[in-house]
Amino acid sequence: MDQLEERMRPEDSNTTALVLAWLWVGLPLAWGIAVTINNATKLFQ
Amino acid sequence: MAFFDRSNAIAKPGFNRWLVPPAALCIHLCIGEAYAFSVFSKPMSQAIGITAPKPGVDWTVPELGWIFSLAILVLGLSAAFGGKWVERAGPRKAMLVAAVCFSSGLILAGIGVNAHLLWLVYLGYGVIGGCGLGIGYISPVSTLIKWFPDRPGLATGTAIMGFGGGAMIGAPLSVLLMKHFANASGTGVAQTMIVLGVVYFIWMFAGSLIVRVPQDGWKPAGYVAPAESQAMITSKNVVLEAALRTPQFYLLWLVLCLNVTAGIGVIGQASLMIQDIFGVTAVAAAGFVGLISLFNMGGRIFWASLSDFIGRKKTYAIFFIVGAVLYAFVPTWGHLHAIVLFVVSFLLIISMYGGGFATVPAYLRDLYGTVNVGAIHGALLTAWSVAGIAGPVLVNYIREYEINHGVAKADAYSVTMYVMAALLVVGLLCDLAVRPVAERYYLEAQTQT
Repeated sequence: MDQLEERMRPEDSNTTALVLAWLWVGLPLAWGIAVTINNATKLFQ
Repeated sequence: MAFFDRSNAIAKPGFNRWLVPPAALCIHLCIGEAYAFSVFSKPMSQAIGITAPKPGVDWTVPELGWIFSLAILVLGLSAAFGGKWVERAGPRKAMLVAAVCFSSGLILAGIGVNAHLLWLVYLGYGVIGGCGLGIGYISPVSTLIKWFPDRPGLATGTAIMGFGGGAMIGAPLSVLLMKHFANASGTGVAQTMIVLGVVYFIWMFAGSLIVRVPQDGWKPAGYVAPAESQAMITSKNVVLEAALRTPQFYLLWLVLCLNVTAGIGVIGQASLMIQDIFGVTAVAAAGFVGLISLFNMGGRIFWASLSDFIGRKKTYAIFFIVGAVLYAFVPTWGHLHAIVLFVVSFLLIISMYGGGFATVPAYLRDLYGTVNVGAIHGALLTAWSVAGIAGPVLVNYIREYEINHGVAKADAYSVTMYVMAALLVVGLLCDLAVRPVAERYYLEAQTQT
């Protein structure tokens, strides 16, 4: 069991790092896209 | 500093390669702010007058226009001359250097605006910031190609997408900050640039901490290298010096230069163009510019990913054929007052403009292998520097010429559109002329002799 846990730990930290890394870039980008789409709708008003 | 050495950035077994694209995005989303630089133009042109430009004292718009042009020029030069160093130093150190240059450039430019010293703004944003742009742009490319030999287009498209998307964050963030800092005695540009410099440094620094290079010989599970029969994709390698002696390098240089020239002039004039041709309001024109940013970004990942399936040569052929046809029809949409067809045509053109940037690293990898692809890509980006000046000059000059010769504003872009279509036809011929690199240029052939 200990061995299994040791093998799982790097993967778990990898998954957490993966989620955090994508959030780090994804959230600001999503905000930028939302603002852009909001402005773009004014083209057809 | 040893922490930032290439040897300390080698991934340990079990490292998830999907951590590398967000690391690359940390850099590209920040340096992509360069595309949003125009939001500073108006407030900088009335830095002394505050509410309106003070003639003879305030900076003129053409003087300010050189800041962006200089930054793009230095981007190409630093990518060309720094490419070899980036390959040697590794992505972590290169990203750190890019972060320091880009951020300190912004901060220096902010100090220059505050002291009203235009030369300091040129030096800060144009030269030092431009070095950050160039080193930052190429820093993750070869690393991504090595991590994703099975999907190089998707990988580089994801990163380079960030350069297109950076403006979508940079522009509204800058506007918010300027609004916050503006007061009766200042436009808030200087403070905004300094805050952006600090924020972007933190963001880019995070990228340099995340990025890893694969161990030598690493391959994704189940990946089989393409067979030699796929003539346009080599499993061998060409170093930078040898690549510069191949005709393929110069053909691709022209391919990139012509594709960028056709798109970049329009990006700079999009707002003015739609107002001149259709008489829409400035707010609606800003919406059009926003859509252009979105398609510039989306095209990068869409077309680069598609190129993994249909091949790079065919992808560029689509850009040039469809682009030339669309450009040729744009004057007709203007005459018919068909604004929807006009907007759709330009969004497609801009998606292919972005796609051209994102597909070219994978094209280079196919032709020259992975060993020096970052350095070769850097050298190729001089095409961007040339196009960055040629495109806007071409569009602006032809427009001015037409208007000065009595052509109505709404019709002043027709000749430009036909010129762009012609440039794309030349680009198509260059793309079709690309053949596999001759055996004698390969590193493997040279080491055997």
